[in-house]
Amino acid sequence: MMLSVENLEVKYGNIQALHGISFHVNAGEIVTLIGANGAGKTTSLYAIARLTPPEAPRVIGGDIRFQGRSILTTRPSDVVKQLKMALSPEGRRIFGNLTVMENLKLATFARDKDADLEREYERVFDLFPRLKERRHQRSESLSGGEQQMLAVGRALMTGCRLLLLDEPSMGLAPVLKYELFRKLKRLNEEGMTILLVEQNASLALNLAHRGYVLDTGTIVAEGTSAQLINNPEVKKAYLGG
Amino acid sequence: MLELIIQNAINALQWGSFYALIALGYTLVYGVLTLINFAHGDVFMVGAYIAFFVATFFLVSLGVPGWVVLALCVPLTMILTSLVGVTLERIAYRPLRNKGAHRLYVVITALMCGLILQHANLAIFGASRKAFPPLIQEHVYNVGGVSFTNLKVAVIVTAFLVFLILHWIVTRTRVGMAMRAISYDKFAVPLMGIPLDQIIVITFVLGSGFAGLAGLLFAMSYPVLEPYMGALIGWKAFIAAVVGGIGDIRGAFLGGFLLGAIEILVVAFFPSTLRDLIAFTVLLVILTFKPTGFFGVAKTTKI
Repeated sequence: MMLSVENLEVKYGNIQALHGISFHVNAGEIVTLIGANGAGKTTSLYAIARLTPPEAPRVIGGDIRFQGRSILTTRPSDVVKQLKMALSPEGRRIFGNLTVMENLKLATFARDKDADLEREYERVFDLFPRLKERRHQRSESLSGGEQQMLAVGRALMTGCRLLLLDEPSMGLAPVLKYELFRKLKRLNEEGMTILLVEQNASLALNLAHRGYVLDTGTIVAEGTSAQLINNPEVKKAYLGG
Repeated sequence: MLELIIQNAINALQWGSFYALIALGYTLVYGVLTLINFAHGDVFMVGAYIAFFVATFFLVSLGVPGWVVLALCVPLTMILTSLVGVTLERIAYRPLRNKGAHRLYVVITALMCGLILQHANLAIFGASRKAFPPLIQEHVYNVGGVSFTNLKVAVIVTAFLVFLILHWIVTRTRVGMAMRAISYDKFAVPLMGIPLDQIIVITFVLGSGFAGLAGLLFAMSYPVLEPYMGALIGWKAFIAAVVGGIGDIRGAFLGGFLLGAIEILVVAFFPSTLRDLIAFTVLLVILTFKPTGFFGVAKTTKI
């Protein structure tokens, strides 16, 4: 088990956002968390990335383990540097005042000196050729889809082994959505483990191996993607009948 | 006439150098944290005092030759002053930041930190002024009716060097990129594996280190030190940074020299008592027409 979340309870101020949820991700898998707005998906990712209040929640119970070890005291920068988990956050949060290339370079801040960065830039550009064309542009001038590619590319440049993706399809035109998800599939086939948070449940379940359904801070269903797609409750609530 | 213009230009450059050096510290911290570090002028004052104690210790107590003392003073003053800046960040600003306090409270804290530095100095070292010992022989050069000293030239050259170094750090290095990234979105920075506090500490080290250097050069140029010496010059440097476009290194540099030039010009043609009145009026007019300063861009606040 690469990542396991055990009975996790978190609060924002006095409001409890997660009521003891448990899920896990095995190496090589794509696992998805689906659910409506406010179900606790982003909150779960923030907690895993160990981001700190006030924007992120405070853990009040349970545990988050990475390869068996609790990471509750790990600093957010060390989650990236030592555990090699990278979050591509909701709303992209790219640094608009930096160029595309600077955004990618910044993500290598914590990398070992001997890492072959040139090859990794090429890998990201190979995955997202648009970024290469626009690498000297200020990133706030990119289109929404390109910004999303940059957010994913940036996470990849941290040298991560576990990629946490928060709503990567949000705001993308359908064509771009499918294109991005094909690329995520390719990444996974090349060995990347992915934890995907999505509102678009059918898109997510088509890509993922397994999934969990979150509803107001509790997990209400789990299983392989096929099981979830065929689960009448899930079908009714999240897959449009 | 030409000599007069060149003479005033040199004076303006030298005088503006101090504003520029201090303004750079304001703008660095503002650029990264959107915090107006109102204690920065007093950090400059502390720098001058640190330089005074370091210089007196080596020169008077140990009898080390003046140029060696200067060579020791530059790094020691910069290091010790940056420790003061980092301490302020650590005990005053960071706890507020971690609590997510509103910017206003941090600015008020900064104002208080400045007052504490002034009055701690007053309480510990007394109200009597300190005379800064001469470290190097001042030579007056005279070229075609224009006179300048080696110290004046050193001040101007230092200001330009500091600007080039900071500009290089901010635009070319990964630390500089991280600084710019923090100014855009603090939240996303740790996601890149960058320890936020470490970058903020580096920012304070740079800002206060160069304020310390300015303090040393100021003490050498105008060798009378008193606890309130950083207050007015600090305010002026802050205004210079705003006129240049606060948050931008080039703006702080330009603003500092602009303010220096205006002040020297006013003194050249009017009674010197009008200096600050006219200088601030000119800056006010500039800000009326260009509220974001020369290099500033209007930012919309995200809600």
